Formats: sequence, C-alpha cells, structure tokens
Amino acid sequence: MATGRNLFATTNARVVGAFFVAAVLHLAGTVLIPGYSSPFAVRAMLVLASLLAVASIGQTLVVIMGGIDLSIPFVIGFANVVAAQLYGDGWNFFLVCGLVGVLALVIGGLNGLISRSLDIQPLIVTLGIGMVVQGLVLLWTAGFPSGSAPQAVSNFVSIGGSAGPLPVPWLVPSLVVLAALVVLVLERTPYGRRLYALGSNPGAAPLALIDPVRMWVITYAASAFFAAVAGVLLLGFTGSAYGDVGQPYLFQTIAAVVVGGAALVGGRGSYLGTIAGVLVLTEINTLLIGLGFQPSAVQAALGFIIVLLVSLYGRERHVSTTI
Amino acid sequence: MTLAARLLSLGRSVGFAVVLLVILLAVNLILSPGRFQPGSWGALVGLAAPLIGAAIASTPVILAGRGGIDISVGPLMGFVNAFAIQVLFLGAGISSPLVLVPATLLVGALVGAANGFLATVVRIQPIVATLGTYLILTGVTLTILPAPIGPAPAWLKALSGPLSLLPLAAMFIAWWLVRRTPYYDQLMAVGSDDRAAYTAGVDVTRVRFIAYVMTGIFSGCAGLMLTALIGSADPNIGPTYTLIAIAAVALGGVSLAGGRGGVAGAAIGAIDIFLLQSVLTTFNVSTFVLQIAYGAILVLAVMLTALQERFAMRGR
Amino acid sequence: MADHTAPGLAARDLVIAPGASAITQTIAPGEIVGLAGLDGHGQELFLKMLAGLASPLGGSIEFGAPGASRKITGFRKAVASGIAYLPRDRRANGIFPTQSVLDNFAVSTLSRDTRLGLISPAARKARYDIYREKLSIVAPRPDAPITTLSGGNQQKVLLARALALEPAILLLNDPTRGVDVATRHVLYDVFRGLAAEGMGLVILSSEIEEILLLCQRVLVFRENEVAAEIADERLTADSVIAAMFGRAA
Repeated sequence: MATGRNLFATTNARVVGAFFVAAVLHLAGTVLIPGYSSPFAVRAMLVLASLLAVASIGQTLVVIMGGIDLSIPFVIGFANVVAAQLYGDGWNFFLVCGLVGVLALVIGGLNGLISRSLDIQPLIVTLGIGMVVQGLVLLWTAGFPSGSAPQAVSNFVSIGGSAGPLPVPWLVPSLVVLAALVVLVLERTPYGRRLYALGSNPGAAPLALIDPVRMWVITYAASAFFAAVAGVLLLGFTGSAYGDVGQPYLFQTIAAVVVGGAALVGGRGSYLGTIAGVLVLTEINTLLIGLGFQPSAVQAALGFIIVLLVSLYGRERHVSTTI
Repeated sequence: MTLAARLLSLGRSVGFAVVLLVILLAVNLILSPGRFQPGSWGALVGLAAPLIGAAIASTPVILAGRGGIDISVGPLMGFVNAFAIQVLFLGAGISSPLVLVPATLLVGALVGAANGFLATVVRIQPIVATLGTYLILTGVTLTILPAPIGPAPAWLKALSGPLSLLPLAAMFIAWWLVRRTPYYDQLMAVGSDDRAAYTAGVDVTRVRFIAYVMTGIFSGCAGLMLTALIGSADPNIGPTYTLIAIAAVALGGVSLAGGRGGVAGAAIGAIDIFLLQSVLTTFNVSTFVLQIAYGAILVLAVMLTALQERFAMRGR
Repeated sequence: MADHTAPGLAARDLVIAPGASAITQTIAPGEIVGLAGLDGHGQELFLKMLAGLASPLGGSIEFGAPGASRKITGFRKAVASGIAYLPRDRRANGIFPTQSVLDNFAVSTLSRDTRLGLISPAARKARYDIYREKLSIVAPRPDAPITTLSGGNQQKVLLARALALEPAILLLNDPTRGVDVATRHVLYDVFRGLAAEGMGLVILSSEIEEILLLCQRVLVFRENEVAAEIADERLTADSVIAAMFGRAA
C-alpha cells in the first residue's frame, strides 16, 4: 500500500514545509518593510514566538492524543492573575509559582478525567471548566486584579534583555532547551510512544496495556501546567495582571499545532512542527502589522493564510483511501 | 429503524435535556413569576431566538460526522447582521424584506459553501477550515462596521417578540422537509460511518458539502433573528454565539461524533441554556458567579447526559 | 482428557451467559486447544473471559499450579500473570496505523527497552529482530508505518507484540483471518513451535480445517455452553460440524 508510505513522508514534509513558509515570510518582510530584520524586531518576534510556543506545548500533546484543550486561555489568565495577586500580597514568589502550578495540574487533570472516563467531547468539558476557572478568578479579585511580577520574571522575558553573551532574554534559550526536552519525551519515552498510539487507535490502546484515563489525566494536567507557565511569563511580559491575557491563545495554539502538521483526529504531529507553526503565525502577524493593516484586517488575513497554508500541505485523506 | 424505535432513541438522546427543560422552567416560574407570566412569553421567545437559531444552524455539519463542526456560525451571524444593516439598509437604502431576506440567506449559503468546499473538497480539518472563516468573517465585519450602528428596518424589529417564532418555524419546517428526503438518510449514514456509507455508494463529499451549505443558510437566518433582537448592527455580538451554540447542541443529545441527534434536540439544548441564564440572572448575582455556575452546569449537564446514556446502554 | 488439577489456565465453573451450564476446563502447558462453534455461540466470550476482558457471570478463571494459582480478574492481571491475547479485528483493536512497525511491535513492552527512562532504539531493534526472524516478518523498513505492510505481515507484527510479553499462555482470536495462504502456514509452524517449547495455546478459528490441522483438543460451543469436547482420533471435520449444529456425531 503506497498511501501509508506517503503519509509517513508527508508528516515530515509538513514540518519542513512550515519552516520553509516561515522563512519565506521572513524574507518577504525583510524586502517589504524597512527594519523588519533589525535586531530589535527579530528579538521581539523571538520573544512573542517563545511565549506562544510555551502555551502550545499542551495543545500539541493533547492533539496528538486525539483531544483538544479549549481551557488553555482561561488557565493562562488564571495563572497570570493569581500569581500577580499573591505576589502583590507579599507571598514568596516560588511558593506562588508552586501553588499556581499545582492548581493548574488539578484543573487539567479534571479536564482529562471527566472527558475520558465519561467519554464526553473534550471541547465542551474544557470550555466549561475554563469558564468556571475564569469566573472563580474574577470573583476572587472582584474583576480588578492587582499586583505585578518580580523583576526577575520581567527580565527573563524582556525583549531588551540578554542571556549572557546572547542578545536575547533567557526565555529564548530556555525555550530551546524545553523544546528539546518535549521532543525527547515524545520520541523516546514510553509515555510519548503511548501518547501517539492512543491517538492513533483508541480502540487498540487498552489491549496494548495503555490506560486511556490515566493518559488523559496526565496529558491534560501537563497542558494546563504549561498554560500556567505561559500565564506567569506573560505577567512578566506585560507587567500587570489581566484576566483575558490568554484569549488570543485559544485559536493561536490550535492554529500553530495544525499548521505544524498535526491531525486533530490524533496520532500525528510533533512539537517541532508546532514550533514551525508558531514561527509562521508570528511572522504573519508581524508582517501584516508592519504593512499597516488594521487589527481587524490582520485577523481576516490571518484566517485566510491559515486556510491557504493548511490547504497546501495539511490536507486529509479522502474517505475512499481509508477503507 | 421503526418509528417507535426511532422515537425511543430520540427520547433517550434528548431525554436529559427535556428533564432539564422542565426543571428549569419550573424554577424560573417559581423564582420570577412576573418575568415568566404568559404575557411576556413572546418577549422571552424573542430573547432566546438567536441562540436557538445558532444551535439549529450548528447541527447539520455536526451530524455529518468525522469531526464536522462549524465554529464560524457566530461570526457569520455577526457578518449577516452587519451586512444587512450597514451595507444593504443604511448603505444601499434597501429595506424590503423581499430583498433583505433572500440576500442574507444567500450570504449564508455562500459562506457555508466556502466552508464546505474547504472541509470536504480541499479536505482541511473542519475545525481549522471554519477557524479560518471565523477569523476572516470577524475581521471583515469589523472592517465594514467598526462600531455599532442602527437602526434596523421596522419590519425586522417587529420580528423580535412573539413573531420571532416565524423564522424559527421556517427553520423547523425546512429541516422537516429535509428529513423527508433520501438526503437525510444519507447524512445520518455518513455521520455514523462514512466508510460504510462510501462503500454503499453514497457520495460522501457531496453529502457533507450540502450539510455545510445548510448550516450556512440557517446561520444567515439566525443572523436575521439576532438583528431583529438587537434592532441594530453590532460587530461584537455574533462571535459570542459560536461556542454556546455548540454547547447547546451537545446538551441536546447531538453526538459531536456525528450521526446521532437532530435539530429538535439542539433547540431544546439552546432553550435549556437560555433558561439557565435566566435563572442565574434572577438570583441577581454578580456576572462572575453567573459565569461559574454557567460553566459548572454545562459540564455537569454533559456529564449527566453521558451517565444517563451509559445507564440506558446497560439497561438494554 | 485434560487433567483438571495440572498447572495451567483453568476455568472453574465458568458461566458465560445467563442460564448456561458451567464450564470447567484447563489449558495445560504445551497443548493447543481449539475453540469452534457457529458465530455468536459463546466461544469468543469464553476466550475473552480467559483473557480477563469480560467478567464471568459465575465461577472464575485461575492461572498457575494448584494451591499457588492467581485469579484472573482483569486484562492487566492476566497479562501480568503470563497470558497474552491477540485480538480478532486487526484494524479496530490491533494496529496503530500512524505508527511505525517498531512502535507497533514494542508498544506493550516499552519498559523493556528503557535505559534511565529513555527508550534505547538499539535495544528495541534488537528485540524486534528476534521476532522478525522467528516469524519471518517481511518489512523492508521497520521505521515505516505498519500500514505499509501486507495484512499477513501486519498480523505477524501483532503476534510479535503478544509474544514479546513472553507469555505462558497465548490466546488467539481467529489469528489467520484475512491472511494469505503462505503466511498461514508460517503461522501454523510458529504455533506448533511455541507449543513444543511449552506454551499453552488457545485458538478460536472460524475455519475447521485450521483447527483440525493444529489442535489436539477442540471445545465446540453451542448456545454458550461447551456442547462437545473432542480430542485425538475422534477429532474429524464431521464430528466438529455435527457438534456445532447440535447433532450427535
């Protein structure tokens, strides 16, 4: 059967294709917009891309498993506000991070537990849980969150920052290390291989000694955890707490994962692909804003380009080839 | 499937939504008899109409299965709203329903066809394809209509109260007619098992494409209902309907995996959500508590639906 | 007749359907037992209960020497006790289509290849090569998706996955369904070899020829009961068919 071999080839081709598109976009920007490749602009893009890449880790894992996580923006906002508020109240920042991380794990674990054990569409469950989380945060802060991030976090993500000899803030090299770890976990650990297997054929998974509920709990917990990390990093980036700070990440994480070659039906995708998708999205955004488009027009163009890109290399198979 | 068996399975799949409906209605009647007196039923229907419309609109593509979903329903309603008022009514001075209604339904059909083309012919995963249209429609709407503007034609505003039953009835009749065609059986067959349907000679691509067009037309209609309710054009309201409509569909016993459920269930799910909002509002709690309760009840409702289904399976 | 006190996989007073009479059977090491019957007469349910995949209505499944036996109460327990199961529907319950041949082979036994928590590709490949040779799997590129293989080779990979668990008892649910004739005979030789090494095999097959070729003993199911237990020289196509249809041979 030739279709299977093509599938294998296209999975890698999709990742390469996405990196290629990002490079082309960057080239186009450099030609069209003066200063597009200036050190500051590149640094800004790298920081923005890194933040999105952190928020997309969870979405990548969840999508490979055959799920989807709509609670990511809400958890980002939750971590953002709670961390700022508690730190503002004089808590030790490490304690704050620990607490936020644990709460995020619980939220995510709940998402996975409810979705899998009752076999409910994760779309609805993660949306509902996300709304509850956001509501609780709003209630706690009465809608007006206060507080800020420690200087160290701001420096960690600051566009003007530097990491030793590197002209980028520590966020960027840290992300490279984190990305390598995520890739390693997916490719070379039993958890990673089980994740792909479960997404590839949920019916066969239990017979291959994979516990679906356990996998869903772990993976959704990880997703929420990385969303919380993104939330705290965003606090350092913007300087003050804002409950809706995560909202743009709802569709952006999904778009990044899909542009990077993952299939939302599960079993296919890679974090390297997601990184490529993140770069593509960041380039498009920067390019369009640089060309003087209004935010509404940027959004429309973004939608158009996502569809265009995915139709170039992200097409599904026809039903006749799946029989 | 015999009629009795079909009714039984309908009852089983929407059963919980109906129970919830009765409970919520009773709670509403007890808590705020004034708001729910017979005289204001018309106004209530008008308030609920756009959500019911959005839920009905979301149904056909979900029934078509294999991840079929249209998250551009809300933005399409918003676009229709802006297009009808800003472009046709205020821009071109057209106020006749004989032009406005066909024009908006046509817009809906075209957007639906575009979604269908992307999802079935180009074969982009539906959630991504309609995410693209979501972003395009929201962007275009904000471009042609940066800020809310009014008014709507008088006849359209008149459709807001009891008369909002008219467009709803039109949608139900349209679906009832669809159900009497062979197409409906093909849709459900494709939704439950597209491989089997394909092997049986069903043109899977065509069936799914038509489902997207239906969703588009229904969304256009829902957009008109939204316009009637707010009596103006507002670029920010439409997109908020998408996720709630999908939640309503799931609540109403339509399987997001396809092939199971119908618009009646979706409409009941939407009414449930509307009544829920109404109950929470009467408690006069802060919008924050409202949101918590709303999310919690959404999750609990789908959990109970799943448990009830499981129970029904075991009892068989 | 099998000795019901010998070590092995034992079904004790097992009831597989309401009202059916109890089944007591032992699968001894080194024997190949066939399960036959018309579709849906309980043989598949019996096999699944042996694997811990379905819970019995009465009685129990036990494994091991008398006095030291473990009760099989679930699939994980069964696997941990040394029972492997090969499912019937390869596409629905067997292969992971997007995953490579190696991934498909190793998925049940991932921890055996890990060094400090990471899978060693070399260890995995070495383990795979043992079974590739044993089962003569034809896969030019083991890192290509399993869907690039023929149906027969996919089935061999799934069998390799089960054998990698190094089970004492192997339960096979129609193992040659949709497999070409040449591959069938390879599989038959493998099954005989495994039994000769002391593994107990239970084979559910929809083809009587296959059962006659492989098994010393056949349990013929009818209406969720063992209608006949046929062994040795009495084992003929006629006697099995007669029992399947409920006639005395």
